[in-house]
Amino acid sequence: MLSKEHVERVAEHVWEIPKTFRDDMRVPARLYADEDLLDAALLDNSVVQLVNTATLPGVVRYAIAMPDIHQGYGFPIGGVVATRLPEGVISPGGVGYDINCGVRLLVSLASVAEIHPHLEGIASRLYANCPSGVGSHGQLRLNNTELDEVLHEGSRWMMGKGYASGDDLDRTEEFGRIPGADAAFVSDRARERGRNQLGTLGAGNHFIEVDKIAEVYDQATAARLGLYSGNVAVQIHCGSRGLGHQICEDYVSRFQKTARDYGIELPDRELVCAPFDSKDGQEYFRAMACGANFAFANRQLLAHLIRQSFQEVLVGKIKDVELHQVYDIAHNMAKVEEHNVGGCSVRVCVHRKGATRAFGPGSSVLPDDLRDLGQPVLIPGSMGTASYVLIGTKAAMQETFGSTCHGGGRVMSRAKAKKMVRGTELRDQLKSRGILICAGSMSGLAEEAPVAYKDVSRVVEVVHKLGIGRKIARLEPVAVIKG
Amino acid sequence: MTRRLSFEEIDHTADRAFRVTGRDMAALLENAARAMQSMDRDGPQPIAEPTATQAVDVEGVDDESLLVNWLNEILYLQQAHHLVCEEFHIDDLKNHCLRARVETRECDPTCTHIKAVTFHNLKIRETSEGLGAEIVVDV
Repeated sequence: MLSKEHVERVAEHVWEIPKTFRDDMRVPARLYADEDLLDAALLDNSVVQLVNTATLPGVVRYAIAMPDIHQGYGFPIGGVVATRLPEGVISPGGVGYDINCGVRLLVSLASVAEIHPHLEGIASRLYANCPSGVGSHGQLRLNNTELDEVLHEGSRWMMGKGYASGDDLDRTEEFGRIPGADAAFVSDRARERGRNQLGTLGAGNHFIEVDKIAEVYDQATAARLGLYSGNVAVQIHCGSRGLGHQICEDYVSRFQKTARDYGIELPDRELVCAPFDSKDGQEYFRAMACGANFAFANRQLLAHLIRQSFQEVLVGKIKDVELHQVYDIAHNMAKVEEHNVGGCSVRVCVHRKGATRAFGPGSSVLPDDLRDLGQPVLIPGSMGTASYVLIGTKAAMQETFGSTCHGGGRVMSRAKAKKMVRGTELRDQLKSRGILICAGSMSGLAEEAPVAYKDVSRVVEVVHKLGIGRKIARLEPVAVIKG
Repeated sequence: MTRRLSFEEIDHTADRAFRVTGRDMAALLENAARAMQSMDRDGPQPIAEPTATQAVDVEGVDDESLLVNWLNEILYLQQAHHLVCEEFHIDDLKNHCLRARVETRECDPTCTHIKAVTFHNLKIRETSEGLGAEIVVDV
């Protein structure tokens, strides 16, 4: 365990564990947090996990943790690590089992007041149309050729089937398709687990949430994104389902042997990795891109099902039932990007494990209509708490490889949360606060109780003050469909 | 007679973790499988009779990877074949390879919540009871 005496204050909300802390560290470990969030991070193994990531071959500048850091496996959740290419490594554990877990935000021009009389009907249709649970199946049945197309094309495949618009693709990170995907490197088992899961939510902390845009901090930017105070928004939080889980499992298992072959010594076997440009590294990257594209396609189909659910309940009852896409972001991903390291532009593999890309204004990878603004960043809350829309910044490009936080971050184990909270009581409490809950499992609901999470507003305040994400709007939940 | 449980859940902030023991490697593997099944929220509910026995072959590069691959095999049967695994018999175990029989019944796959078994800080250690390990699963 680490304690506060091992951590040096670099600037306000910036802390560092120097490279000299452990012989195997290649760079310092840097943590962005206020004092209370730092204290919380030091309570479990999060910061040790952060230090472990500073040992990865090729890591540059520092291993980073966002203020929502919490204990994961291998990498901490809230971790960002960039490795210099071509010799730096790619680590499947640095992406995680839920490849391209992420968030999509849709907004309406209708107000929450207008849809409120129909909210129970909407929640009920969402629950029926968007299957949840780890092993749940969707309505789309794909043959092998179609599955390969999804793995290569992501959301673009959904447009061909009428489930996506061009605007949806423009408002998705990487336009809904990670280049370099090659389904030849995805196992039969991964295909089998994912084949029938498009359009499903999964379990754990995944959700669909109907929100009210409660507060707007920057009217002009919010208006450009279609965010108006009092209006309806819908968030989708999920990922690549069984297909992504199996891809990660396949390569973590394979790299147990190959990491030794490359002579890579690591403090934790979940960090196993391969040089990015090696055969092993490339095969994982190409398989991971397939998992990422599957996740984009999954959130796209869910968006279609949500739009359908709104139509089923609201057509003829309110004037405008359209849901427009604000953006779709990944928060578990490894990507090849160019960043400034030591005054030079360097090609790096950026691992974001529970961290969000937050590219600032002027980035060439943003769609034309957002390039002068920066990338929208979606920070989901935890069922009974706020969520936030931020915008990426130039400071994030300079400080954190264009990255920011991804959510509240847990502070309490699932077992403790279940001992402290009863699912049915939580559901009733939230209902009394005007938040409808639909959940398949009451114990699963208890595990995800808001008390188990850090205060997302505090996390967002830290990144806002640091300038690595600028607050645009706050959302408050009115109905939650839990996986 | 109630079987004495050879595992306990341990605290993990985001995922789930358990400590398991066994008098030898075969018992550790069997107990770890029982532990994981027991910890799965609500449990995958059997929806059909009778039981069927599945033969399972798993290999690893060492004991730890054999343990992880074995548990992941059980998750695969649940999530891809919708089979809840109810009893585990390790019949053969050598050179980090195992052959086992697993008693299964059809289940509702939506009830399981474990995505994968991880290698996080995994080390099989000798204990007073034989062997022990702490295993973190992703949920």
